[in-house]
Amino acid sequence: MARLEIDDVTKEYRSGESSVVAVQDIAVEVPDGDFLVLVGPSGCGKSTTLRMIAGLEEITEGEIRLGGRTINDVSAQERDIAMVFQSYALYPHKTVRSNMSFGLEESTELSDSAIAETVEETAAMMGIEDLLDRKPGELSGGQQQRVALGRAIVRDPDVFLMDEPLSNLDAKLRAEMRTELQHLQEQLDVTTVYVTHDQTEAMTMGDRIAVLDEGELQQVGTPLECYHEPNNLFVASFIGEPSMNFFDGTLENDALVTDYFEYPLSQESRRDLESGGDLVLGIRPEDARIGDAQQSDRRFEAEVLVVEPMGNENIIHLQFDGMAVDDEFVVTTEGVPNVSAGDRVGVEFPEPAIHLFDGAGGDAIKNRDLSFTGTPDAVLP
Amino acid sequence: MSQSTSDTNIDVASVVEDVNLRRIGHYTIVILFLGFFLLPLITGIMTALKTSTAVANTLPFMPPLGDGFTLANLEYAFNRLSYAFVNSLLMAIPATIINVLLASMAAFGLTMVRWRGQMGILVLFLIGIFVPYQAVLVPLARFWNNIFPIADMLEPVFSVVPLIQGYHSALVPLIITHVAYGIPICMLLFRSYYQSLPNSLVEAAKIDGASITKIYRRIILPISKPMFGVVFIYQFTQIYNEFLFSFTLVTSANSSEAPITLIIPTIGTSTSGIDFGIRMAAAFLAALPTIILYVAFAEQFAKGLETESA
Repeated sequence: MARLEIDDVTKEYRSGESSVVAVQDIAVEVPDGDFLVLVGPSGCGKSTTLRMIAGLEEITEGEIRLGGRTINDVSAQERDIAMVFQSYALYPHKTVRSNMSFGLEESTELSDSAIAETVEETAAMMGIEDLLDRKPGELSGGQQQRVALGRAIVRDPDVFLMDEPLSNLDAKLRAEMRTELQHLQEQLDVTTVYVTHDQTEAMTMGDRIAVLDEGELQQVGTPLECYHEPNNLFVASFIGEPSMNFFDGTLENDALVTDYFEYPLSQESRRDLESGGDLVLGIRPEDARIGDAQQSDRRFEAEVLVVEPMGNENIIHLQFDGMAVDDEFVVTTEGVPNVSAGDRVGVEFPEPAIHLFDGAGGDAIKNRDLSFTGTPDAVLP
Repeated sequence: MSQSTSDTNIDVASVVEDVNLRRIGHYTIVILFLGFFLLPLITGIMTALKTSTAVANTLPFMPPLGDGFTLANLEYAFNRLSYAFVNSLLMAIPATIINVLLASMAAFGLTMVRWRGQMGILVLFLIGIFVPYQAVLVPLARFWNNIFPIADMLEPVFSVVPLIQGYHSALVPLIITHVAYGIPICMLLFRSYYQSLPNSLVEAAKIDGASITKIYRRIILPISKPMFGVVFIYQFTQIYNEFLFSFTLVTSANSSEAPITLIIPTIGTSTSGIDFGIRMAAAFLAALPTIILYVAFAEQFAKGLETESA
């Protein structure tokens, strides 16, 4: 167990004249026993970062420290880390038992009997003691996943690295394993870095999440920080399902003017922004409210396109007049759906719930008011 | 159409349809090819079982009848070849094993381990495949006879080792030559197999703390068993059947270390002409080890080819 520090790490792939920067100046600290999730779309550099921690990729610039020791030049064999691969990478010719004992045989001086004992203990903890004498090819995907986890746990390493370990499981099993993994990590209290492209996994599992895009770190924070106080447009759109609605506009005097509506901004929201600047208004689907079609200051008329009842909530796709055919925005409501496709309704964006982003750079200017909890949707007559 | 057509008419029509020209064409071609491939084999085996009079008086592919049948050819060939069999196997088996092992290691090093300058080494291997045998025969003979006469050096050692004779030391240069010449092509076969293996296996082993040699010995070597089968059969056949190197380095069919391929062209010749019965019997016997190998490892061979193409 140790503290992991990633200090301004850059990874550049050079081939001849051209070079591609995969990771740019990433700096994150993972305190001892913490669970950090690296999340981002594919190609954002999250796997490269993980592989640099593992020692499978060389670090172009910067330092990675484990327990205070710089490990840039320490080989993967010597790093005392364990990794769970997306493909599990179980040794196909070895039984589950030898798969699990291989790491102990190669990296420790333990006696054969001590190794056997550790393997049995870990297998019992993972509930795979019945599979010990089988080969990976005879196991189901979920069982292979458990073995891969067991193989990492049995090593009792300083750091666990997990590269999308749940992405090959079906949805139900994935949800189960998500909880189990969290539970295991708490129980073992081992520093963990977990890579995923799935924002649900990131939100539910991490103590903290680091959002990456195009090789650059966008934000590090607790899941709720990233959800409610995104640093920029990317984080706001990436975190949350269904994702935040955005409307481009310009600030004209005291109102945000978009193609579809004029949104009056209070002095507090406007701050010292200059009139004429480009802004993006963002609002989470659950914060917008649907009421009757009557227009008011912050309520605008829209047409319901589709209603998706999910049981606990309804995802309602709407369109303002004048929006392009494939353009829409989304509002979620609780309970039984009270609108249907084709209805004309009023959609209210409560001011405390809106986010404002800089239209040019995408940086957050104003995030939602955390004390605002909203009021239930108005019931249509 | 009306329904008045009788049943017999329909039957005739379907029979005519069955015996159409296309089908006749298919069968003709199949039978022609069958004959084309099988006749030489049948001819060989039939000739081996005939007396020389029967060989002269009957059609080559007809089976021997009555007095024409004899096992004397096989017996003679077996006696003449028995030493050569030992020589050939003593050369081919170690050469193949060393060759396949080294090729697999080279392929591992050139595929699954990253190091500077490996592209240049790979190119050297590829060039090695295209060096023609004929171009190196003279230097090879000079090297093993004058510059580094390892056969002479090892002869005293070989004469005291049980089961083998002193003259078997002459096979050592042959073995080394075959190994050197076989590595590039075998390396390429292994390489294509290793490239199809997921890289994460090696990475997982690295993270588990295994060194490069341990990764090869404990992960890659056991996984490549089917490929070993394929390459072993291929390379054994190559070395066992090889003639030019043996001819250059051993030179005479009459020397006691002559491998089987040196003897086949001379067997059954005398001043009175060629005894085809003996020659065919010898050819049949000489082919046996490779045939046995193919039959014994057919399943593994197929599996190996499958995994390679997959």
